[in-house]
Amino acid sequence: MLEVHNVSRSFAERLVLDDVNFTVPRGALTGFVGANGAGKTTTMRIIMGLLKASSGTVSLDGKPLEGDTRPHFGYMPEERGLYPKQPIIDQLVYLGQLHSLSRSEARRRAMELLARFGLDDRAKSKLESLSLGNQQRVQVAAALLHEPEVLILDEPFSGLDPIAVDSMSSILRDYASRGVPVLFSSHQLDLLDVLVDHLVIIQDGRILANASAEDLRASQATRHKLSLGADAGWLRDEPGVEVIDISGSRALVNFQTETDSQRVLREALSLGTVTEFAIHRPALADIYREIIK
Amino acid sequence: MNTTSAPWLIVALREVETKLKDKAFVISTLGTLALIIGAVALTGFLGSKSADYSVAATDPLSYQVLTEAQDQRPENMSLAISQLDPGQARDQVQSQDIDAMLASSADQRSMTLTGFDELDADLEQLVSTAMRTVLTDQLLSAQGLDAFALPTADDLETEQLQGDSERSSMIRAMAFIFSFLFYMAALIFGMPIANSVIEEKQNRVVEILASTVRLRQLLAGKIIGNVILAMVQLLVFLGVGLLAAYLAPGEIPFLGVVSTVAGWFVVFFLGGFMLLAGIWAALGALATRTEDLQQSSGPIIGALVAVMFIGIYAKGGFLVLASYIPIASSVAMPIRMLSGDVALWEPLLSLAVLLAACWAVLLFSERIYRRAVMHTGGALTLRRAMKLEL
Repeated sequence: MLEVHNVSRSFAERLVLDDVNFTVPRGALTGFVGANGAGKTTTMRIIMGLLKASSGTVSLDGKPLEGDTRPHFGYMPEERGLYPKQPIIDQLVYLGQLHSLSRSEARRRAMELLARFGLDDRAKSKLESLSLGNQQRVQVAAALLHEPEVLILDEPFSGLDPIAVDSMSSILRDYASRGVPVLFSSHQLDLLDVLVDHLVIIQDGRILANASAEDLRASQATRHKLSLGADAGWLRDEPGVEVIDISGSRALVNFQTETDSQRVLREALSLGTVTEFAIHRPALADIYREIIK
Repeated sequence: MNTTSAPWLIVALREVETKLKDKAFVISTLGTLALIIGAVALTGFLGSKSADYSVAATDPLSYQVLTEAQDQRPENMSLAISQLDPGQARDQVQSQDIDAMLASSADQRSMTLTGFDELDADLEQLVSTAMRTVLTDQLLSAQGLDAFALPTADDLETEQLQGDSERSSMIRAMAFIFSFLFYMAALIFGMPIANSVIEEKQNRVVEILASTVRLRQLLAGKIIGNVILAMVQLLVFLGVGLLAAYLAPGEIPFLGVVSTVAGWFVVFFLGGFMLLAGIWAALGALATRTEDLQQSSGPIIGALVAVMFIGIYAKGGFLVLASYIPIASSVAMPIRMLSGDVALWEPLLSLAVLLAACWAVLLFSERIYRRAVMHTGGALTLRRAMKLEL
């Protein structure tokens, strides 16, 4: 488990991270969401040792990370970084060697990953000759070369087409299921629902949520969705019911107690047909919007 | 290779590998090599251009003159003398079997040198001098005087208190070569250090690199890689140049002292280049785009040009001073040593100063590099870079 403890950081008197605490559990994909400038990249750079925290620590399995390098982590920076004018395989082997792989091992691993991304026939091409999506795949390959113990990916999905998103998702899942803590930031909220097991929400340098997706959904699952045969306007006058939204025969409401919900259901049935009466499980995107309000 | 190496070594080897695959670099190196070999061969050739002449004497006096000419001829000239009657001689000149025929006038006071077409000036000069000697001797002995008793131009001997003239022209030539080699290497191998730092900053590879290996290792690798390239190129240039000089047919003077000083030059070159490499790396870290470098590299290129001119033109006290100032000393000290009157402690002291400066600049560059390399918004000034937080 990767843990960020009480990390604060300021740039020239401006507080960018304010007492940030969260965990990246093993065996799960952790999504890191927040608006532009909320502090995601700074947090990730601090985890990677590229920036120093003004205070606070980052630890892996209880051991604080020291020094300013993380050779056993896999990292994909926000502004992608590889050598555009060099053959793909050459730079992957070079990065592999810097991660203490032997030359032959680095080459083997690089070819394996390229094959997995369907890029093995482009190994000798210059990076800049590839499409953006494929360049991104190479970037991921660079982060995975040395079988990292931890994966830190800044916006791995940005700029990918839906097929590439799927293949990227399956790779991240694969690593998570091997017990590697995976932290990735994303703007694409719709991806969160299908992908993440754990969600960290940051706003203005403060952590607003740090919980499993299941718990988050459950915490927000107090609402009911109703679809009736006729207009649902009468719900507004029912005691014990807080109406959130009504449009025609459909309504989204909060019941004060379980008894209230059963009473309203009976009443609705007596008034006509009920085609849907269900606990509303919000999408993580909705939860996010709710939390940052 | 199945073992893992230190990061700086991996970086250094990659710098070397990338450069060796660079066609422009390979072509310019081979071109320079060809130029060096050509220049040395040309010098040797010009120095040893030998001329063979065959001249016929048509009477006893002309034979005597030609024999005198044979004694006086310079080393690179040979003179074959035959004795023929005028008719035969004319025929052989006509058929170009011999280069010329020499005939005395009836009064034995003048002579005619006849060639097929225009006579070689060297031959004409040689024969005319010999003739004058012979005729003068005859005239003197007719008067009962010995030619050796006459004062001659040789009675004036020259001395100079420091060095000698041939030596100083050699020093001028070598000063030019040392200065130019250093200037060239400083640009050809220095600039790429800055550019490769900028490239990695610009592409943001540096973020991956910096989280993987210590920036110190990265910086050291880049510098060492380019130092290796520069040294190998320098050694090849010097080696081939000296070898060509040894093999050249003519004798090139002062080869011994030049070889020794070339060895010292290699050592000073190494120190000076390391110092520059550190400065280049720092300049690269301060820049954001390659274009920034054009501005920031102005002063350093100016300094390099100054060093080149110091090497070529500086003399006396100024040269002595320059031989202790790092970077300038890389050319100034070897040039002073060419004159042969520099005590051993002088290069050693200068070298110590150079190495100390080298170390200081490397440490300083690393600080700048470490701070500036993560900075993305626009080029930095030195002062701002020192203030950046990690």
